Amino acid sequence: MGNVNVNIDGRKIRVREGSTILEAATANGITIPTLCHIKGQVPSGVCRVCVVEVEGSRTMMGACHTPVAEGMVIHSKSPKVIAVRKVIVELLLTAHTGDCVNDSNAENCALHNLASDYEVGAPHFNVRNPRFYPAEESNPYVKRDMSKCILCRKCVKVCGEVVRKDVLSIGYRGFRSKVVSGFDEALTAEACRDCLKCIEHCPTGALSAPARV
Amino acid sequence: MAEKRIVLSKCGSIDPQDIGTYIAKGGFIAFIKARDKMKPQAIIAEIKKSGLTGRGGAGFNTGLKWELARSIKAKAKYLLCNADEGEVGTFKDKYILSNDPFGLIEGMCIAGLAIGAQQAFIYLRNEYHFLYDPLVRAVGQVREKGYLKHMDIQVFEGAGAYICGEESALMNSIEGMRGESRYKPPYPPTRGLWGLPTIINNVETLMNVPHIINNGAAWFSAMGTGRSKGTKVFSVSGDVSRPGVYELEMGSTLRELVVGLAGADDLKAVQIGGATGNILPASMLDTPLSHETYLGSGAVVALNSGRDIIDVVQNDMHFLNDESCGKCTPCREGTEVMLEIFGRLARGEGHEGDINSLDALARAMAVSSLCGLGQAAAVPVLDSLRYFYNDYIDRINQSHFLRSYLGGELFKSEEGIR
Repeated sequence: MGNVNVNIDGRKIRVREGSTILEAATANGITIPTLCHIKGQVPSGVCRVCVVEVEGSRTMMGACHTPVAEGMVIHSKSPKVIAVRKVIVELLLTAHTGDCVNDSNAENCALHNLASDYEVGAPHFNVRNPRFYPAEESNPYVKRDMSKCILCRKCVKVCGEVVRKDVLSIGYRGFRSKVVSGFDEALTAEACRDCLKCIEHCPTGALSAPARV
Repeated sequence: MAEKRIVLSKCGSIDPQDIGTYIAKGGFIAFIKARDKMKPQAIIAEIKKSGLTGRGGAGFNTGLKWELARSIKAKAKYLLCNADEGEVGTFKDKYILSNDPFGLIEGMCIAGLAIGAQQAFIYLRNEYHFLYDPLVRAVGQVREKGYLKHMDIQVFEGAGAYICGEESALMNSIEGMRGESRYKPPYPPTRGLWGLPTIINNVETLMNVPHIINNGAAWFSAMGTGRSKGTKVFSVSGDVSRPGVYELEMGSTLRELVVGLAGADDLKAVQIGGATGNILPASMLDTPLSHETYLGSGAVVALNSGRDIIDVVQNDMHFLNDESCGKCTPCREGTEVMLEIFGRLARGEGHEGDINSLDALARAMAVSSLCGLGQAAAVPVLDSLRYFYNDYIDRINQSHFLRSYLGGELFKSEEGIR
């Protein structure tokens, strides 16, 4: 495969054909925020915070999954892109309930960090019934606090495609979507062992290691 | 202008359960011509020259799509007929499938020859379960006649999700996965069903194919407007005296369809293209219907002066929120937030910020959602804000009045204000 020339934020960049916009940008020191992308894995394009403007395209494109093409002109930080990203972060914050702000892990929350980077304050959107689930501590290796989940599906991806255990999957539909194990059962020690990969990848602390007794 | 029935020309004059009546009306002549006298490239060239576009709503050039799939070397190729007619207020495909299934099958046979597909599926929506047996029988009759030697057609029943009418979700559904959209590119003609080149066409698109092969591309492209050729089948419902399926030349005006043919009276607005469609005020009745202006899937819902536009949009949003697959953030969370705002407006708890919230949300959803559902969910909101802005102001003023009238007793509490 040859190389293609693209233009990101006014910089002329030469990258390998077939790489994504995100890879092209990252390799050249341009940061595009992501929440659902795992480097080296097939992109999922779920969270949409990585959207960028591509000239000639009707809609914005997800940087993590759109391959570059010859002569593409990309704006990753235009006012339009920033405005859309802010709305998406605000939407994620709206449904991201729980004691996150007081939590000792709040600085580890990728969503909160992103929100402060983009100066998104307290969300002014409301939802009818926030997704609230009691924290689950039935598993000795993983504590699940699904209220904090932003449905980035990284854990599902890691569990299925990296560890190949397929313990986690998505249940229900639309706003009521939830990361479930089996038919939305408690995550038992039989089903989930101690690989802890999902905790490593969880951006918000919905999955964490339980305090050792 | 009167109706121009081309796609629907055989509907009502043949027995949908007897291939003999279809052949007596000139059926399968186009297929035999395409099979014996035309090379696949020639079929594609003819379709491309005719300017036939996708009738499901997106309006992509059918010939171009076929050419793309044809040009790719792969061990197998698939042809899918999208009969998951989920768009609210659309019932043209139901009419076609119940009255002329052979026309569709002939179109699929020709499409299969053109792209070199060995397997085809008709993705029938779950709600059309009563059409499953008739369709399977029709396919069986065509097979008996020996017209399906190059490709097999399987009727596949969906499970009842609106999102599965979106092409990538439809493929996921056939593959046995959750009905969720995939990101594009790669587009289905390059990597579709099981990673192989796949062509997905609407029922009506495929119905046009035999007529183009029979009468030639020039005949077809003589009808319609610049980018939209041929005719379009419309499903008209709502506040009209003669609801039903009408076929008109592309570029006919909304007035001809809704007032002239369907007999609407005292119109306030028209929604074109279902729950995700544009809402146009009655003053825009002279708009021509084509891909360049407004068309969508051809669903036209007439709303008379007794209807409240915000209620209509709320109803649309309720549907879209329910049918959102939950994969991408803007659609999953955005439809929920919009529904919350519409709910408050309906209860008399609106405030000024709501209009800005709706506008910002709709604009973000339209450009950042993963698939057409989220992108188009913003359309009725943006349209109602553009053409019926005063209705929103009225609702908010009513909310203010309610608050003052009730003396704050109800709304002093934390729960009341929200």
